[in-house]
Amino acid sequence: MSTYKRMDTPNKVKANKPRREWSIARRVVQYVSLVIFIVFFVMTQRDGWPPALVNLPMRLDPLVMIANLFASRTFLATSSIALITLILTLIFGRAWCGWICPLGTTLDIVSLDRTRGKRPPPPEGWRKIKYALLVVILTAALFSNLTLLALDPLTILFRSLNVSILPALNQMVRVIEQVLYQIPGLRNAVASFDMWVRPNILPTEPLYFKDVIFFAAVFAGILLLNIFAPRFWCRYICPLGGMLGLVSRVAFFRREVSEPCRGCTLCTRACPTGTINPQKNFASDPAECTMCMECLEPCPRSLIRFKKDVSLAEPQGYDVSRREALVTFGATIAALALFKVSNLVKREPPFLLRPPGAREVNKDNLSLTKCIRCSECMRVCPTNAIQPSMLEAGAAGFGAPILLMRMGYCEFSCNACGQVCPVQAIPPLSLEQKQQQVIGKAYINESRCIAWSDHEECLVCEEMCPLPQKAIQLEEQQVWAKDNSVVTLKMPHVLRDACIGCGICEYKCPVNGESAIRVYVPETYVPF
Amino acid sequence: MNKLSRRDFLRLLALGAGTLTVNQFLASCGVKPAAVSSTVPAPVTKMPANTAPPSATEAATQSPPESTPTKALSNADVVVARGGEPEDLVRRALEAFGGMGKFVPRRANVVIKPNICVAYHTYEYAATTNPWVMGALVKMAFEAGAARVQVFDFPFGGNAKEAYARSGIEEQVIAAGGEMMPMPEFKYVATAIPNGVDLRSTHAFQDALGADVLINVPIAKHHGSARLTLGMKNFMGLILDRGAIHNNLGQRIADLNTLFRPTLTVIDAVRILTNHGPSGGSLDDVKKMDTVIVSTDIVAADSYASTLFGLQPTDLAYIRAAAKMGLGKSDLNSVKVEEITG
Repeated sequence: MSTYKRMDTPNKVKANKPRREWSIARRVVQYVSLVIFIVFFVMTQRDGWPPALVNLPMRLDPLVMIANLFASRTFLATSSIALITLILTLIFGRAWCGWICPLGTTLDIVSLDRTRGKRPPPPEGWRKIKYALLVVILTAALFSNLTLLALDPLTILFRSLNVSILPALNQMVRVIEQVLYQIPGLRNAVASFDMWVRPNILPTEPLYFKDVIFFAAVFAGILLLNIFAPRFWCRYICPLGGMLGLVSRVAFFRREVSEPCRGCTLCTRACPTGTINPQKNFASDPAECTMCMECLEPCPRSLIRFKKDVSLAEPQGYDVSRREALVTFGATIAALALFKVSNLVKREPPFLLRPPGAREVNKDNLSLTKCIRCSECMRVCPTNAIQPSMLEAGAAGFGAPILLMRMGYCEFSCNACGQVCPVQAIPPLSLEQKQQQVIGKAYINESRCIAWSDHEECLVCEEMCPLPQKAIQLEEQQVWAKDNSVVTLKMPHVLRDACIGCGICEYKCPVNGESAIRVYVPETYVPF
Repeated sequence: MNKLSRRDFLRLLALGAGTLTVNQFLASCGVKPAAVSSTVPAPVTKMPANTAPPSATEAATQSPPESTPTKALSNADVVVARGGEPEDLVRRALEAFGGMGKFVPRRANVVIKPNICVAYHTYEYAATTNPWVMGALVKMAFEAGAARVQVFDFPFGGNAKEAYARSGIEEQVIAAGGEMMPMPEFKYVATAIPNGVDLRSTHAFQDALGADVLINVPIAKHHGSARLTLGMKNFMGLILDRGAIHNNLGQRIADLNTLFRPTLTVIDAVRILTNHGPSGGSLDDVKKMDTVIVSTDIVAADSYASTLFGLQPTDLAYIRAAAKMGLGKSDLNSVKVEEITG
């Protein structure tokens, strides 16, 4: 093949030296950054690597950081690292998408190109979607709502790994371990493997997440969109791509095709984002070009260069017009108004518990004003108590963390969620502060409690209470036992003022089904 | 490299699965009886092995050199050492029994079970066993010739990795050459408790069932429902489903103690937790006693330890149940106690 090219290249055209090398270099960078993302994901553990290191990928995401800045009205020095991505985009265009974005790399790996066939790509107008989404997200952020950051590529990938892929992988490993452990000769090998892999890579306890099928399906759906066009997500939907695309319109380096192009269309066919337009002299839209350099190699005459060019990019048919932008802006405000008239605003759901301190630092507990939906807190929670919400807090709260005390409890000696949160939506409390932070208040349901209702001895809640002075007190009472004798029994009482709502009592309560002691939200607005 | 065809891959997969199945089948057919007996632990046959110490002659040759040969060996049921550093207390108490060599045969696989119930506090809060008591026992087991010393517990608050570190036990055990082991779920085996009155079966931790020597090292502390947690209750850390135990706690703890029969019970009362147990957290509830209680009779050890809190053995439901089942002596008038003060 190379021989053919050399013969075809006319002597007068200076041979372009690096061609294939660029695309190899890109692939190396892509894989390295995907591996770093996954390693950081794995090491996002309470006893893992430093939280300020492992949440770095999220902080490099300018969409998430700017939206958070708008919504929280608080400048975080740690978030300013996202400027690096913006500056690099100003220089190199959407190279983030082609070279770094781990979701983009995943979409390249799972390209599904064999299933694609010769189907024509969707209409060019669909490229608008990502700009529209960007307008929606930034508008909503101005009004302190970050719900749609659930569509940011980094949060999607992290959430999918966290909520579905890792737990499922862990489950497979556990079953294999259990089966192999039954084979006498393999026993030691299985035990040493287990010691090596846990807790460093896989969790010691199995992980369980609510709505895992939904989150897995969303991720699978994003991958399957590749059937309709390569990198379908990046071309049409990705709001971060939209933001970087806008910046790329004034980027310094651009793709250029010089004369004498004979219109062989090889570059058009090679372009994964389909932005090389044969009708416009094979020019590309810098807002769509991911600088992947896949077009370099096929060009028989080596006419394609990526060189400096200081000008505004050509307008495109799918650009969002001023009118469209204003309509989207207005529609977003209307939708936000709908969020504000949800019944949940008037009466907060009784069990809407948030990670320690989050209720206090977010202006709106339903939408969790500052939360970027990255799910890092769910990853570090050692007891699996932090779960992704679907509609528990209404649509506005989608993707934000909630505490489900029957799944886990807020461990007394842990403050990992606040440390790892990239935007302080969960405040970085010290352990001493966290141990006094009220998450909720526990109440005993006496009609379900073994001691109160069955008149049998059970003091698990008191035993579990981690507070040095115990927020559950035992009070001796004379009660009728089952055999009609009078016995003295210790009855649990919650000392409401002392209780911090850590939920270990609810988690460990031996009553079947709903716990006989439950943590309720600490204080709610009471309408008169 | 040749590309593996789908057919070949499936064939290899089937072959591998087949081999594993046949292996398992052969094992259960009695080709490897030794291996089988370790898959399905037989706790009842284990009991005499755990309780009967090696012969006196063997012990004499193995006792550590520092034990004074002139001193007559104690025939006490319970030895209580008071005053001094934790390691010193353990050594003095065991010397009264003739040293660790009397209990740990050469090349024995030793399991030492502390109480590391929560990951919340350091050892000063007396919620977890004293690290130096643990370290001393690991050292002494190796001095007696143990091949391997494993230490593990299953905390109810926080995870094991964190709890091992915070308690300080990890540091001392590893420094002494022991191993802090995780307790993966697959190592819990469904085990019948034939001698149990109420609790007839449980999922018990295999490495504890299969140990040559099991040394139980609880810390003496207050407990809301059981009143005190001592040696017998400490075995709740060796089973998977502890929720099932909390009903009829006293009898079920005694039942569990028919399954786990420790060679030695060493109750750490260097610091005791007098209130707000078992997790503790306030130094006001901690009382420094500088005491270690050693016995081969877990019931006698617990009975004596109850007096540290001003209670009688009969105040504790599990001691009453265990005494009724004949698991040990609970009447302090008949328990021979030797006190060693430094």
